[in-house]
Amino acid sequence: MEEIKDTFLHPVVPLDFQNNYRVGAYLQRYLDGFKEKKILGAKCSQCGRVVVPPRKYCGACNLVMEEFTELPQEGTLENFTVGHVNLEKGQWKRADAPYVIGMVRLDGAANAMLARLNVSPADARAGMKVKAVWKDQVEGEHADLDCFEPA
Amino acid sequence: MRNVGIIGIGYTPVFVSKRKDVSIVEMISEAVDAGLKNTGLAPEDIDAYVFGNMATFEGVNMPHLWATEHMHARGKPIMRFATGGTIGMAAFHGAYYHVASGMADIAMAVTYEKHSEGDAQVGLMGIITPELMAMLSAGIDVTGQSGMGAIGGGSAGGISFQASSYLHRSGAGIEHIDAIAAMERRNAAKNPYAHLKDPEATAEKIAQTPMVSWPIRFGHICPTTDGATVCILASEEKAAKIADKVAWVLGVANCASDATTANLIDSQITDPAEQLPAIMASKKACERAGIEDPKKEIDYVEIYNGFAHQTLMYLEKVGMCEVGEAHKLLEAGELEMNGRCPVNASGGVVSTNSIGTSALNRVTECALQIMGQAGEHQVEKEVHKAMAHGWGGLMQYCTITILGDKPKKL
Repeated sequence: MEEIKDTFLHPVVPLDFQNNYRVGAYLQRYLDGFKEKKILGAKCSQCGRVVVPPRKYCGACNLVMEEFTELPQEGTLENFTVGHVNLEKGQWKRADAPYVIGMVRLDGAANAMLARLNVSPADARAGMKVKAVWKDQVEGEHADLDCFEPA
Repeated sequence: MRNVGIIGIGYTPVFVSKRKDVSIVEMISEAVDAGLKNTGLAPEDIDAYVFGNMATFEGVNMPHLWATEHMHARGKPIMRFATGGTIGMAAFHGAYYHVASGMADIAMAVTYEKHSEGDAQVGLMGIITPELMAMLSAGIDVTGQSGMGAIGGGSAGGISFQASSYLHRSGAGIEHIDAIAAMERRNAAKNPYAHLKDPEATAEKIAQTPMVSWPIRFGHICPTTDGATVCILASEEKAAKIADKVAWVLGVANCASDATTANLIDSQITDPAEQLPAIMASKKACERAGIEDPKKEIDYVEIYNGFAHQTLMYLEKVGMCEVGEAHKLLEAGELEMNGRCPVNASGGVVSTNSIGTSALNRVTECALQIMGQAGEHQVEKEVHKAMAHGWGGLMQYCTITILGDKPKKL
């Protein structure tokens, strides 16, 4: 058998770029609310459901949602997973300690948000009441809402 | 197969370099809602959606699923096309097949590009792998200076081979590319949905723009645009109930040859300006539309021209004039809005290029001319039959759609 050689084509892309996804009008309102430590949702004028973060359409009613409404900062942990690794530069790294990521439904919201939970895996329970924890300095960014902890 | 007609069109309010006020899906929803408003349809009237966009340009691989609610498509059939520059017309053909086959009574083609959120050149690098491999087999060192020179200008570099070959074969000069680019930028100034508009554009002004890769100057090249377009198609029975004016689909076709700038056919390098797929797709679409001589029977043409020479080159390929004749028609003023062979009254792709929409806009602009609803850029002559051309994928994929003011006799 002839030896298989590693001959590759490596076209060089002489460009340095990143994608710049605009969050759009609805997420912008949500992030603006973070500056006052408020969590805003959008309310459907037909079915009355509130979704958080806000989005333009209520899919069930096929209607534009025009009303923004503030949600309470407490809710229920609906389910969760426990992370043991972090992703750094595309590689798994063992986390310093296992951590909880869960789906939190704020009181009055139709949907759950994905959030980090400041609770030990041993103490996490589906159905437990949780509340939002903000960073001391808020900038109007997603990271302002640091995590949820038991209420 | 049953008759299908275009009953409605929706554009975003503007086509510009950067839509800073909306996200990708919010922008798509503007066109969808404009289409519904223009036809008086409710979201539940749309039976199926065919979505078109080139994922690599924004790095968003499943935009049709992200946009599902924003186009009122929850619980409905959706499919997506990604065929490069031809996407918009491929999506249109997909919607046409849905209705013609009886699988849907009303279908919507939804297309967009939001170039400002990604990098078109990076996207193109992910598309041209077959092109690079074909260049290797053509003996070009794509890793070295000459190869990178050819593709360093992105598709502008690649297309320069096609443009120079077109000039050589047709007897046209670079001044004709300047002149057609100027004509289209002037036309664009009359189209509210065009991007680069210059009512004062002249060949002399275009000739002053920098050379990129001979014979392509900066002024011959399309912009990168943010925008979305939708087109609503209906069966003959539904169309009669819904719309006052309908542009009927008389014939569609698409065709490819082997990859590459060099227009490889059967692995043989041929003339990059030969563009057999355009010739073959046009012949097939005309046959389906019952058209014997497009020169005599087609009143209006929209050509996909990411680069200005393509208007002239493709007019010859699709059979709207003889080879070597397009630049003479241009000189005689026949390609203008008041000419005998008006082309790209919209301003063409060279004035507006949100890639996902670009080949669909060729169809919708033909439809507007047939319906008499093109406004300030309505051409002088009556348009009974029109031809829309799409190009792109690599260098060698073409789509054709022929529309008419009357349905086809079945």
